[in-house]
Amino acid sequence: MENAAAKTKGFGLNQAIPLATAAMAGVFLWLGLSQYGFWHDSKGPMSGFFPIVISSALLLVSIATFFQSFSEKRPTLPFLNWLPAFGVVLTLGATLLLGMVPSLALYVVLWLRLFEKYDWKTTLITTAVIMAIVIGCFVIWLGVPFPQGLIYEAITE
Amino acid sequence: MENINMLLQGFSVLLTWQNVFVTFLGAILGLIVGAMPGIGSLAGVALLLPLTYSFNPTTAVIMLGSLYYANMFGGAFSAILLNIPGDSPAVMTALDGYPMATVKKRPGQALLVSNFSSFIGGLIGMIILTFTGPALANIGLKFGPSEMTALLLVAMTSIGWLVGENPSKGLLLTLFGILLACMGMDTLTGSPRYDFGNEYLLGGIPFTPFVIGMVGFSQVMILMDERLVKAKEVTEKLTIRGSLLTKHDLKRLLPPALRSGVLGTFMGVLPGAGATAASFMGYAVQKSFKSEEPLGSGAVEGIASCEAANNGAAAGSFAPLLALGIPGSGTGAVLLGGLMLWGLNPGPLLFTNEPDFAWGLIASLFLANVVALMCAWGVIPLLIKILSVPTRLIIPCITVICIVGSYSTSNSMYGVLVMLISGVLGYVMHKFRYPAAPVLLAFVLAPMLESNMRKSFIISRGSLDIFFDSPLSLAFMTIFIVILLFPAARAVFGSFARTKMETAK
Repeated sequence: MENAAAKTKGFGLNQAIPLATAAMAGVFLWLGLSQYGFWHDSKGPMSGFFPIVISSALLLVSIATFFQSFSEKRPTLPFLNWLPAFGVVLTLGATLLLGMVPSLALYVVLWLRLFEKYDWKTTLITTAVIMAIVIGCFVIWLGVPFPQGLIYEAITE
Repeated sequence: MENINMLLQGFSVLLTWQNVFVTFLGAILGLIVGAMPGIGSLAGVALLLPLTYSFNPTTAVIMLGSLYYANMFGGAFSAILLNIPGDSPAVMTALDGYPMATVKKRPGQALLVSNFSSFIGGLIGMIILTFTGPALANIGLKFGPSEMTALLLVAMTSIGWLVGENPSKGLLLTLFGILLACMGMDTLTGSPRYDFGNEYLLGGIPFTPFVIGMVGFSQVMILMDERLVKAKEVTEKLTIRGSLLTKHDLKRLLPPALRSGVLGTFMGVLPGAGATAASFMGYAVQKSFKSEEPLGSGAVEGIASCEAANNGAAAGSFAPLLALGIPGSGTGAVLLGGLMLWGLNPGPLLFTNEPDFAWGLIASLFLANVVALMCAWGVIPLLIKILSVPTRLIIPCITVICIVGSYSTSNSMYGVLVMLISGVLGYVMHKFRYPAAPVLLAFVLAPMLESNMRKSFIISRGSLDIFFDSPLSLAFMTIFIVILLFPAARAVFGSFARTKMETAK
């Protein structure tokens, strides 16, 4: 599937990863040198010692990978593949209001019913199974304190 | 011979109805907890610690030991079937387990390879523990900071095996993973570092949500390409018989399992190394041996090497814990806390003063190994059914498990956020053909490497000689340099050979 996305060569997203790691290395190097220190005469290596060594190496490797990336094919990132990530973001937003467990149930129902167009029976059975695992294992057995949301807190106050 | 007698005495302690019952209970709970993404052995043992308060110390630790041990079996289930490692040692299992279950359509065999390898690795670890437990712990003590640094450098450079034909991408991700691990607290001084004024980053990036995102949630995003593909037809192999391994499979499984079992036990003995590092090392070492199929494509050897190593390490970690009172991992630290809670003092005198306890625990590991294998084998038909569920149904279910698993490790939305970001990162990396494994390996090993490297420099006052002084560190540094120079030498000699061939033409 991924190969189907391979497109043209040239400047584009291929260069984004080495550029991002180079920027990260630059920030870590600068912070290491300016704030955390490299070496102390009596104490030896300081907090910045290890990150400075590693970020210097990362900077060099990023530059090498950046030039190498021009010869690679450019893949595409279809919008459809980003939907689960958007789903998680919306679930996190809903959690603030409804609490995590109801938000997860709502997410499964909406995904199956609206996006995948499953019938109500399949949707509800799947939701029931996954929520039984979540509630049975994580809530009841392991006692994970999931957030309960503003509505629940308003009701119980 | 004396050790065998002591072990038999341990079995006589073990074989009371209560101890056998808690061994079974621990094994079953361990399998369940291990299979649940985000819980892991550390959280599992910690969460179930209160359950053991009503037992006597021997029974309580037998249960926790059994739970910890079976956990190593369970971690592979979700790694193989869903590509979500249940625990960090199972990260490497997913590399070959998931392709074997899905691409090669041999899910039962993948699970069985994992179970058998775990059993073999664990058995080797227990035999070594029985005969050399106290002596082995002393070898572990010979590993000072310089030896550990050299060993970890070998582990880091062996990442070349994971990246195959593109070493620069692997190196880039290794260094990236190390820098990510540097965020939070300085391991030696405890001072904040690279937290950017954020209170969550002060504690660093939590490993489990990071792994769930990088391996599990990225898989959900990748699965979106396949959501309209027909459900996998595995129904004809839903029986235990249909999952049996062929003679050829067993032939492929045994050498890496035996090798990794020994290696894993040794890694388990080293303070701080643990099952995760052992699993990575087992897989790395396998890369230098011949495999029938390339590692990462669903090779039996790949699953066997890491599963045997992590179970060997789980057994090996009991040597320093019992004989020296040094926990080999976070889980070992919880077990140590349990021992102290019950008034036991682990150390050289434990085997003398509390033989019933020490040998009863070792005997229970043997029983837990068999029980975990039986239980794991028995649930294979049920587990394989997961694969016959259409991808369209699986996607929201895995997403929910990713969210819940990452939340439960930190009890905060920060864990979910880390999972989401690392999932997106993992997806982008996959699309651009950047392998995820080097980031994970570097992220796990970086704190140990930094801590040992800095301690070495403090001891030597900045001199590099410390890494070449002792025979152990000299040997590891030689291997490190050879591994480091190998790709360059290969490139130089390769181009030389090509030029020669062209001239000859």
